[in-house]
Amino acid sequence: MTSRGGEDRSKRSAGIVPYGLLSPGILWLLLFFLVPLVTLGRTSLSVKASRFDPNDIRLTWELSNYTNAIGDYSEQFLRSFAYAGIATVACILIGYPIAYVIAFRGGRYRNVLLGLVVIPFFTSFLIRTLAWVNVLSDKGPVVSAIEYLQFSGLLESLGIMSDGRLLSTHTAVVGGLTYNFLPFMILPIYVSLEKIDLGLADAAKDLYNNGWQAFRKVVLPLSLPGLFAGSLLTFIPASGDFVNAKFLGGPRNTMIGSVIQDRFLVQGDLPTAAALSFMLMIIMTIGTLIYARMLGTDDLI
Amino acid sequence: MTTNPVPPRLSGGPLLSRRTLIARMSALAAAGVVGPGLLAACGSDDESAGGPSNALWHDNWPAYMDEETLDLFRKDSGLDFKYTEGFNDNNEYFAKVQADLAAKKSIGPDIITPTFWLAARLIDLGWVQEVPFDNIPNAANLVPQLRKPAWDPDGRFSLPYASGMTGIAYNIAETGRELTSTGDLFDPAFKGRVGMLLEMRDTVGLTMLLTGQDPTKATFEGATEAFSMIEDATSSGQIRQFTGNDYMDDLATGNYAACIGWSGDVLQLSLDNPDIRFVIPDEGGMQWSDVMVIPSGSTNAANTAKWMNYLYDPENAARITSYVGYNTPVEGVQAVMAAGDEAQQALAKSQLLFPDAATLDRLSVFANLDPEAEAAFDERFSEITGA
Repeated sequence: MTSRGGEDRSKRSAGIVPYGLLSPGILWLLLFFLVPLVTLGRTSLSVKASRFDPNDIRLTWELSNYTNAIGDYSEQFLRSFAYAGIATVACILIGYPIAYVIAFRGGRYRNVLLGLVVIPFFTSFLIRTLAWVNVLSDKGPVVSAIEYLQFSGLLESLGIMSDGRLLSTHTAVVGGLTYNFLPFMILPIYVSLEKIDLGLADAAKDLYNNGWQAFRKVVLPLSLPGLFAGSLLTFIPASGDFVNAKFLGGPRNTMIGSVIQDRFLVQGDLPTAAALSFMLMIIMTIGTLIYARMLGTDDLI
Repeated sequence: MTTNPVPPRLSGGPLLSRRTLIARMSALAAAGVVGPGLLAACGSDDESAGGPSNALWHDNWPAYMDEETLDLFRKDSGLDFKYTEGFNDNNEYFAKVQADLAAKKSIGPDIITPTFWLAARLIDLGWVQEVPFDNIPNAANLVPQLRKPAWDPDGRFSLPYASGMTGIAYNIAETGRELTSTGDLFDPAFKGRVGMLLEMRDTVGLTMLLTGQDPTKATFEGATEAFSMIEDATSSGQIRQFTGNDYMDDLATGNYAACIGWSGDVLQLSLDNPDIRFVIPDEGGMQWSDVMVIPSGSTNAANTAKWMNYLYDPENAARITSYVGYNTPVEGVQAVMAAGDEAQQALAKSQLLFPDAATLDRLSVFANLDPEAEAAFDERFSEITGA
């Protein structure tokens, strides 16, 4: 990167100051990213003979940890990605218009509206999820309203309800994920929309685009970085989440996060837990790269 | 026993009973919401190691102790007594302390209160010390059926803290009839409105009794039929969810018609809602105990005797029992409560708190599994519960 004051820059970079300034970051990455990553990778290729002795773990390049994990838990893997994918799409559908309105129509209420998006999320993640347990419960307001309006048959045939309930179904899990990660979609989209000069959209309209075309050809492409960041911030934590599945889902809605937790804490099966985590990470990385290529925002990562 | 009596709520019992917080707190901890303070209660080895000789630390389940008893004991003994509620889940607790215990280091608390099967594991691994029974004369008050139990065959390493019964809890407003058998949980009329417990020994043990197997001598082969019953009911949607203590909410709000439940919880619930009932199924019910053990790294073992002796005094045990709502392992408590105030008198008559001999005869304690069998049971159970 060239910039003004290049001469000064070269002088300064000769010193140790830049390295000094970088060192906390490098140290952080080394200690809390690289070391755990290597440990995780090592564990995922080891055997643990005793369930109860945490030190009895030997590296044997046990690739079968991976093949077994895929064989045993592909269902939960696929389910996690499906739930997270649906939740991400739902977040875009709900979040984009909200961000759009705040950015372009918010006027002087912009900060108030942003506050309304963010403030509910000052409450603990868990409390909010548990609140949905009450809202969606069998005798709760939502199910009662659906029954009163006699929509249950329709929702049942669409697979949204089952046995006349919403709680402990996949609908509740996906809904919980959507709700919990919505701000992570709204905020990045808002940030990238806010920077757009609306004059560009006006120019498009002057050039005989209608409103929709102006949005599709000008505003949407310019907001793609926000959409991209928001999708990642939603999809990645959502696929690893297990709290929503635990409280809002049933035994047939468990996600890969629950499996990893169970492997790790209940079974003491560190190698499988590590292999599952590693695979989740690899799949995410590959997915992110493909997604970045598709959206043309690969300079972001 | 078919239904539980409904004593008046005067005892000031806990709003959240012993295991109420299990699932929620574990999720909190996992979500990183719980501050280091709570977790430090179980992980650090700073205070007791080499600390003053009058220090003592008991780590227990939430809502398992009343404040009054703690104050009285502190005044009485002069000990610098620390009492924490670091237990949220047995497996999780074990995962947290196992590295230190395996290395023979202090985990902090001098007394911990795992459920019997985890106590058995700790005893088996040699990670606990002998209880100083010589200095606990009140241990003579231990009820006979809990002496030398399967989890501690010599009775040298553990002292029960509280016990409970596992049976069928149901909301009669939802079921429309009295339930009498674990088989009722598999009634298609309750499809999607039945809950089971994540505590493997309770859920599998109860179902084994239904299939005519004896959980006190459980083998993996013997549990095959029980496991397939639970598995079929899970994949058909009969079983709505496997939970920790969350079942209390589901039962109270009517999400569940019936579920597997713990006696003390249902005792609490039934005080607010007489429709909620508890039954030991005709085939029999399960019994569990949470037991005190002294981790091998504790340096205050001598002080533990004072506290354990205090807990085994029937007067003190009566006060704790009226608060906790689970079965006391101390003999003579019922007599103390029968002579107490009105609320205690009512509780003294509760079949849930003081089951009679006929009821006790119908309870089984899950077998002490060897590590291979335990791994097989846990594995199969996880497979069914979806995790």
